[in-house]
Amino acid sequence: MRRKRNGAGRLLMALVFLFLYAPIFLLIIFSFNAGNSSAVWQGFSLGWYAQLFQDRLVMESVYTTLLVSILATVISTVAGVFAAVGLFGLKRRWRSPLMTVSNLPTVNADIVTGVSLCLLFAAVFQGWGSFARWFNSVQSAVELPARLTLGFTTLLLAHIAFDIPYVILNVSPRLRQMDKNLIDAAQDLGCTWFQALRKVILPEIKPGVVSGALIAFTMSVDDFVISYFTAGSATSTLSMTIYGMTKRRVSPEINAVSTLLFAVVLGLLILSNVLEARQEKLAEQNAALQRPAEYRPVKIRSAAPKVTKKPWFRRTVAAVAVCALIGSVVAMAFAVGFQPVVNVCSWGEYIDTDLITQFEEETGIRVNYQTAESNETLYSLLKSGGGDYDVIVPSDYMISQLIEEDMLAPLDYSLIPNFSKIDPKFRNLPYDPDNRYTVPYAWGTLGIIYNTTMVDEPIDSWSAMFDEANAGQVLLINNSRDALGIALMYLGYSVNTTDENEIREAYQLLADAAERGVYQGKVMDEVFQTMEGGNAAIATYYAGDYLTMRENNEDLAFVVPKEGSNWFVDAMCMLKDARHPEEAHAWINFMASTDSCLANLDYIWYGTANQEAIEQYPAYYEELYDEELDQETFDIIQTPPEVLERCEMYLVLPKETRNLYKELWISLGV
Amino acid sequence: MAKELIRLSDCVVKFDDEIILDRLNLYINDREFLTLLGPSGCGKTTTLRIIGGFLTPTSGDVFFDGQRINDVPPHKRLVNTVFQKYALFPHLNVFENVAFGLRIAKVSNDEVKQRVLEMLEIVNLKGFEKRPISALSGGQQQRVAIARALVNRPKVLLLDEPLGALDMRLRKDMQNELKRIQQELGITFIYVTHDQEEALAMSDTVVVMDGGRIQQIGTPEDIYNEPKNAFVADFIGESNILDGVMRADGVVELFNRRFQCLDGGFAPDEPVDVVIRPEDVDIVSEDQGQLKGVVTQVTFKGVHYDTIVDFSGFKWLIQTTDYCPVGSRIGIKIDPDGIHVMKKSAYSGMFGDYSSYSEEYDEIGDATMEPGGEDSGDEE
Repeated sequence: MRRKRNGAGRLLMALVFLFLYAPIFLLIIFSFNAGNSSAVWQGFSLGWYAQLFQDRLVMESVYTTLLVSILATVISTVAGVFAAVGLFGLKRRWRSPLMTVSNLPTVNADIVTGVSLCLLFAAVFQGWGSFARWFNSVQSAVELPARLTLGFTTLLLAHIAFDIPYVILNVSPRLRQMDKNLIDAAQDLGCTWFQALRKVILPEIKPGVVSGALIAFTMSVDDFVISYFTAGSATSTLSMTIYGMTKRRVSPEINAVSTLLFAVVLGLLILSNVLEARQEKLAEQNAALQRPAEYRPVKIRSAAPKVTKKPWFRRTVAAVAVCALIGSVVAMAFAVGFQPVVNVCSWGEYIDTDLITQFEEETGIRVNYQTAESNETLYSLLKSGGGDYDVIVPSDYMISQLIEEDMLAPLDYSLIPNFSKIDPKFRNLPYDPDNRYTVPYAWGTLGIIYNTTMVDEPIDSWSAMFDEANAGQVLLINNSRDALGIALMYLGYSVNTTDENEIREAYQLLADAAERGVYQGKVMDEVFQTMEGGNAAIATYYAGDYLTMRENNEDLAFVVPKEGSNWFVDAMCMLKDARHPEEAHAWINFMASTDSCLANLDYIWYGTANQEAIEQYPAYYEELYDEELDQETFDIIQTPPEVLERCEMYLVLPKETRNLYKELWISLGV
Repeated sequence: MAKELIRLSDCVVKFDDEIILDRLNLYINDREFLTLLGPSGCGKTTTLRIIGGFLTPTSGDVFFDGQRINDVPPHKRLVNTVFQKYALFPHLNVFENVAFGLRIAKVSNDEVKQRVLEMLEIVNLKGFEKRPISALSGGQQQRVAIARALVNRPKVLLLDEPLGALDMRLRKDMQNELKRIQQELGITFIYVTHDQEEALAMSDTVVVMDGGRIQQIGTPEDIYNEPKNAFVADFIGESNILDGVMRADGVVELFNRRFQCLDGGFAPDEPVDVVIRPEDVDIVSEDQGQLKGVVTQVTFKGVHYDTIVDFSGFKWLIQTTDYCPVGSRIGIKIDPDGIHVMKKSAYSGMFGDYSSYSEEYDEIGDATMEPGGEDSGDEE
């Protein structure tokens, strides 16, 4: 009976641990996967780690995270210790309510802390702005910056703010355990209050300080929500970057990052436990030492000088460490403060990151490269004032909208000589008829990607997107413009129609198909994983991305349906309130050059508007890979004229139509 | 010899509206061993903290060697303290604990070593230099605390119930030790305790305190033999305190019977408190006694018997080596010098009746006096 119950108990225990740790083990295992699938094991490799360390975005955010965490830990530990000592010295009547107040932030929802800090910063910035403008107008000796934005400093302040309570929480019990008389005793023996703090209180509460600092550090490294609201658009912590990565392609790089993060946190945990255990052991040893001490006096002579030497050595080490920290912070501040910089916001997996390095080396301008999820998210980010960017790369219809709302600055084309290489057919496009604001970055078509082994015959029509025969195997694109556009094209209407009846008809088509269970789900970049893994048969996505998918799954095919499709251009533009216009022009010019376009084309497989680049590409490819570029691939990249003829570009829709889109899109349940 | 070193004049300490010290006046001579004695909450630790500088009196002045030192912080006073629970620094070993004050004062390494070793020898802790504090017994920690304070060569050493946490035996040893050290080094000791035996055994001067006020100052003999009021009489040793009337100088009336005594200077027929120490009562046969009573309880105490005798409803404690069985009728005789007459005070009628006497009176007495051995009332 007893044994049986034990067996069941053990099984339950095993299941609990499995439940707790299986996800992490899976993550660790797949971080060593050779292929780039997160579902199929393709052999052991450290490739993702190697790639991780070369990934600019990740490494930069790791650096930011470490710097913020370390600085926040140091500052909040110092502040928290003083606060705890101060609280400890208060009368109980005051201490308890103040302790409660100071602990409240630890139980407060992160989102509330984050939003409220964001609001506070915004209010302070506004106040500062009006003060600075007034100050600059009454005198001219000192020019104060009038516009402050969220960034590293606000991120650091936020981290310090939410770390301090954790330090207080860890230090306070230690103080309460401490004999209050120790402070009196130290002062009695000639210490000033400050000396007493340093020589008696600190050594006494050291374990609490260390554990407080460790927890503060872990909290800082771990935090996402508060950072998200206070870092602004130009600074990104590791957790924010990981979040950004999951919103796009789920690359096994994430597994590698997460594994390392897990290892770091585990390491810290073990470290703090080992420290604790060692202290306990030491205490035990001391207790065991209570034996006759007659044999000891001989040693005294050698002991005394040793006692005096050790703190000197330690002090030097501590001083060196502090100097190094301050030095690195100052160096960092200088580097950030005085190096020219350009803030770029683009899409995920939309650049060969070597180009960023190359640009930085050539010009000495630091590139702060961020990514947004979609045109719509970028738009709302800009509208909320959260996007402190210089250069953005929106799509055609969004550009029209931004121009309409006077959010872009006209470009000075004399600073962009490479604009001359742009194919005339990509100039003066409807979104920017006089070509005053934009330089094309990449272009492509929307089409159907399907798995040839999962459908009976080749697809050539949008009807496949609504066909019951493919029930549960179709992925709908998760963006209202493209999804409704597909239905409109299938029905033979223009993608730019403003006729409510036509749009409602298109919606009905989608809704009926959804009702019949045609769609597996609405996806954006998750499409890569699903299609590569053979988990869906049909999807709508962009030509360049198809080529990336095909590298991992030979069975995939791409078609621009006979009813026609959308063709789009993503173009670089500069925001009206850009703070680095000169650097922005330099970046745009650099990205428009033939060499950049070639490298980028090879990396992202999207068409380029640079005439020289597209002409040189086959030769470039042959030289690079030692094999000929097959015509089919090249056609998908550059889209032959007869295909392009069937395609229509999105134009900006009037406000009421946009609202209709929004409303219909929300009511479409998939 | 008797040069005045410290004077507290009209010191008042209030926490919120609670008066902890009420217009305290006290002076302490150089090289004196002075004890502040009283129950928990009487203000003795508060007085000590004023002298140590950890507390500033609400009003009143503190003088040290003629200088007003109200605003001098603790670390600048020529005073060191041995704290109630020693307050040794757990992160330092014995040597460094003792050396702490010298290191703060930036004394040279050689001198530190010499003075610390010398002091450890005085407190009998030679060879313990490298021990961590946690590896010491209570008595040893006590000695470290004393050495740590004395090594700074203070003018005055303050001791706050230093022996409270030690067991009886060790306490007796340490009492002798402290007295020896005080005489050897010629330093003024100000000693706080609630243990009257300790106070009597060690002090040159005893200050009995209660309710934030000094009840009596005097030599141990004075305090014991000539208590000023019922509180002092009861707190110091055992006392039977009776209502009496002073009929004339040297004549006091108790239970309607006149007794001869040595006290005088009262108004005729003035009501007084009469103290009779239990050991000053002789038991005689019933017919020879000045008073007659019935034995109600006898407890063997080793040196003597604690005998409770009922005199027409009022119960006395008598300590005697003669055994009288319960129920026996006895007489008592009191010599004139065994009777001490005191003026009536606020404490009259509160002490000195053994009607509710029980065998555990020692323990009960201690428990009410000093709960947990802590002067909690003085802290806040």
